[in-house]
Amino acid sequence: MQRFLDPKVLAGISSLDLLAKTVVDSFVAGLHRSPDFGFSQEFTEYRAYVPGDDLRHVDWNLFARTERCYLKRYRGETNTQLTILLDSSNSMQYTSGPPTKVDYARYLAASLFYLAIHNQRDAAGLIVFDDEVREYIRPATRTGQLSRLFAGLERAEPHARTDFAKPLAHFQNFLHRRGIAVLISDFYEDPEIIVRTIAPLRFRGNEVVLFHILDPQEIRPALKGSAILVDLETDQKIEVTPEYTRTVYRVRIDEHIEQLRSRARAAGMDYKLLVTSQPLDRALREYLSFRQAGN
Amino acid sequence: MGLLAPWFLAGLAALGVPVFVHLLRRHKSTPQPVSSLMFFERGTQSSTRYRRLRYLLLFALRCALVLLVVLAFANPYLRRAAADANGRQLLIVLDNSFSMRAGTRFSDAKQQALTVLAGKSHAQKAQIMALGGKLDVLTQPITDDAQLHAALASIQPGDGHANFGDLARAIGRMAETFRGPIDLHLFSDMQRTAMPANLADALLPGNVTLILQPVVKGSAPPNWTVESVDAPDSLSDPKDPTRSRVQAVVAGFGTPAAAKTVSLVVNGKVIATRKVDVPAGGRATVEFAPLDVGYGFNRCEVRISGGDAFPADDATVFAVRRSDPERVLFVHAASETRSALYFGSALDAAAHSSFVIQSVAAEQSTDLDPSKYAFVVLSDAVILPSIFEHALAQYVAKGGSVLIALGTSAGRHPRIPLWDREVRDVRDYVRAGNPATVGHVDFSYPVLEQVQPGSDNGGWADVKVFYAAVLNPEGERVTARLTDGTPLLLEKQLGEGRVLLLTTGLENLTNDLPLHPVFVAFVDRTAHYLSGTDRLSASKVVDSFVQLRSTTTQMGAATSVEVIGPDGQRPLSLSEARTAQSLRLDRVGFYQIRFANGRDAVVGVNPDRRESDLQPLAADVQQLWSGSSGAASSETAAAQPIALNYRPVSLWWYVMALAFVAALAEAVFASGYMGATREEL
Repeated sequence: MQRFLDPKVLAGISSLDLLAKTVVDSFVAGLHRSPDFGFSQEFTEYRAYVPGDDLRHVDWNLFARTERCYLKRYRGETNTQLTILLDSSNSMQYTSGPPTKVDYARYLAASLFYLAIHNQRDAAGLIVFDDEVREYIRPATRTGQLSRLFAGLERAEPHARTDFAKPLAHFQNFLHRRGIAVLISDFYEDPEIIVRTIAPLRFRGNEVVLFHILDPQEIRPALKGSAILVDLETDQKIEVTPEYTRTVYRVRIDEHIEQLRSRARAAGMDYKLLVTSQPLDRALREYLSFRQAGN
Repeated sequence: MGLLAPWFLAGLAALGVPVFVHLLRRHKSTPQPVSSLMFFERGTQSSTRYRRLRYLLLFALRCALVLLVVLAFANPYLRRAAADANGRQLLIVLDNSFSMRAGTRFSDAKQQALTVLAGKSHAQKAQIMALGGKLDVLTQPITDDAQLHAALASIQPGDGHANFGDLARAIGRMAETFRGPIDLHLFSDMQRTAMPANLADALLPGNVTLILQPVVKGSAPPNWTVESVDAPDSLSDPKDPTRSRVQAVVAGFGTPAAAKTVSLVVNGKVIATRKVDVPAGGRATVEFAPLDVGYGFNRCEVRISGGDAFPADDATVFAVRRSDPERVLFVHAASETRSALYFGSALDAAAHSSFVIQSVAAEQSTDLDPSKYAFVVLSDAVILPSIFEHALAQYVAKGGSVLIALGTSAGRHPRIPLWDREVRDVRDYVRAGNPATVGHVDFSYPVLEQVQPGSDNGGWADVKVFYAAVLNPEGERVTARLTDGTPLLLEKQLGEGRVLLLTTGLENLTNDLPLHPVFVAFVDRTAHYLSGTDRLSASKVVDSFVQLRSTTTQMGAATSVEVIGPDGQRPLSLSEARTAQSLRLDRVGFYQIRFANGRDAVVGVNPDRRESDLQPLAADVQQLWSGSSGAASSETAAAQPIALNYRPVSLWWYVMALAFVAALAEAVFASGYMGATREEL
């Protein structure tokens, strides 16, 4: 547990206000913003009445002064449910230097769990998957949940290939209330397929956050000579020239990242690229700052 | 090309090291893992090929390095001609003596010599010689291969007798002027009879390396030959049973006992045939009598029928001249008649004598023509009629011969006819009480010729001289002297003729020579010598000489001689025919000669019968002569003639230089490759 709860990481993340980024429908006010408007004490806006609106929300004082019928709306504060879907396929064990991508994903997930459970008292759950669901911890707030989650992360060892369809189907079967779904993966798949597979989560009212974990060598590979490369998932081997990695590969990986980013945004999902050489606290801080600024 | 230390080639097993290393490296090319090959595409094959090519080049360089180092230790060398630019001179001596005509000896020897010459480097000097009756130097030390080849190819088998002693002396003289090392290749049948009796006479100088190239292996084949023929040079009466006969000795060398058929051929016609049993390795005598020949010169031949290994020596030729007996003019003092008796008796007693003596007193010789006589004897005839003396001088100048014997008259009349100088003194040994004896005799002189004189000085030691004239010889040849040094027999050339002067008489008053057997031989040889019949028809040995004219003849006044050789050609050019003093008989067969004095002669020339003994030198003698080690043998020299002709030139430095270059290239390529590998990791 200690390796996941690095005090420096936690100190960096605690300084941020995660509440400003959550929406209503949560018990812990200000921690998460609910995707829906709810009932609370904090006024948000007025809206013109349209036929069919509940007359209980009409501001009668305003109607008395202006003879116009407006509805009064309030910002809702609620506890939410955080579910992290961690990709543990073989491709996640790649590294050009410690940590591996799967370790980096573990740090990230542990940090989010800690923040959610310890600070926000949100329910948190974990799904570890590759082409099958390897681990499932139901979201809960009960005592010891954090330890179970950490234990689940410990058991998450890379296996097989990545298949987003099965874990998401499994996730939807157990999803009883809306929450935040955080998908941590290296996303070696066609962005269209990824988004099409994940989009149903968004349709059911969940907020979906995609953390794209990549090694710096995967973004800017540097080969001095021709080399034989082995796919960690398929064991396929091909010989690659350094000229190709310096030119075509960079273009194609950049296009992949950009497509994934744009398609995720288009589908209403948040997307954040994290490089394993990037400090974890800074990455989280940037992401949370981004989300806060975006709302 | 070869290797001086071929066992180091075992180090080639080290070639397995680069092979092993490169195989491992190719198998250890660990692939690099990546998360996904989604964005990768297969690189171009040329890149991989270039990489493999680089590996192959590195592999080849490493193999070459190991190979060159091993090769350097094995010490390769090039075989280069032993004599080269360092100054070694190649001397090829080809034996063309008569025995080389047997079988294929000469062609084999010439082929071997040509092979050795072909192996010579272009920069090396070589010299060609032919060893026959004499050593013919065909070329000087030159580097022109074509000229050397032509000189060697031009050598033809001869009829002479090779002598390794003559070869050693000639090489010794040559080595005095050329101090550098000489490789002497002797291509010969290594006949035992060619080696002098004392091996020291055949030793070569220190700077000469003798390489024997024998063309004969094993023992010699059996060979029969007509070793000698005893026949009269001239014959006057074919029915004379004591003189009209031919005795031939048939000899076998290494032969079993056999019956041979011997024929006598006269002028190309077989006139008699005999069968003779020749013992194993021995001799047998055959006699043909009578010898019925016609007048003039008859070319005779004794031939053995039935072939053997050396058919060229199965015949011996000789010439017999049949003529009427020649007259000898014996002029004596009127008071002295004993000398004619003794001289005539001795002349008749001589076996081959064909002379009739005509004795006349000096006073009665006025009208005589000396040219009608074979020769003239002046016995104590110091006073001659002037006409006769003048005729006698002309007779001698044209080629006549005169024997002058000084008797007791020499003390009273010191002048000697036909002799420029007078008698200086006379020695009367009787009065002194101690007769003189003959002390010195030149046995090589034809008149006194004896092969083995013996301890009694050839019979002359017993001759006592009581009275002798004393002359001071000036230019005359003194062939015999008394014990006190007084000349006994002198010869003087006058024109084409010769005058013999015996300082004592031919009777038994001034000496007791007529009483000794040596007197008959002396008279016989004197008669032949003075009459010239020894030159007119005879059987001679190859490489002997015939005197064509007198040595005193003036060059301008000389008349031409004419010589026709056995092959019908004239061996002398026109200029030589006018100037040559003698002729070397170098071919087998009949020579027809017309001397400067106008007399004709036919001479049969036979090879030296030592050439018929084909037995080669023993192997140990050959080793001893060539100075080779005890392990080497003549067979080894024969089997490896070329190997001996070459010396190794080591290539060690060149191979090591190549290895160094390979090591540098390997270092460059290896560092480049290893650097790239580190960067990839």
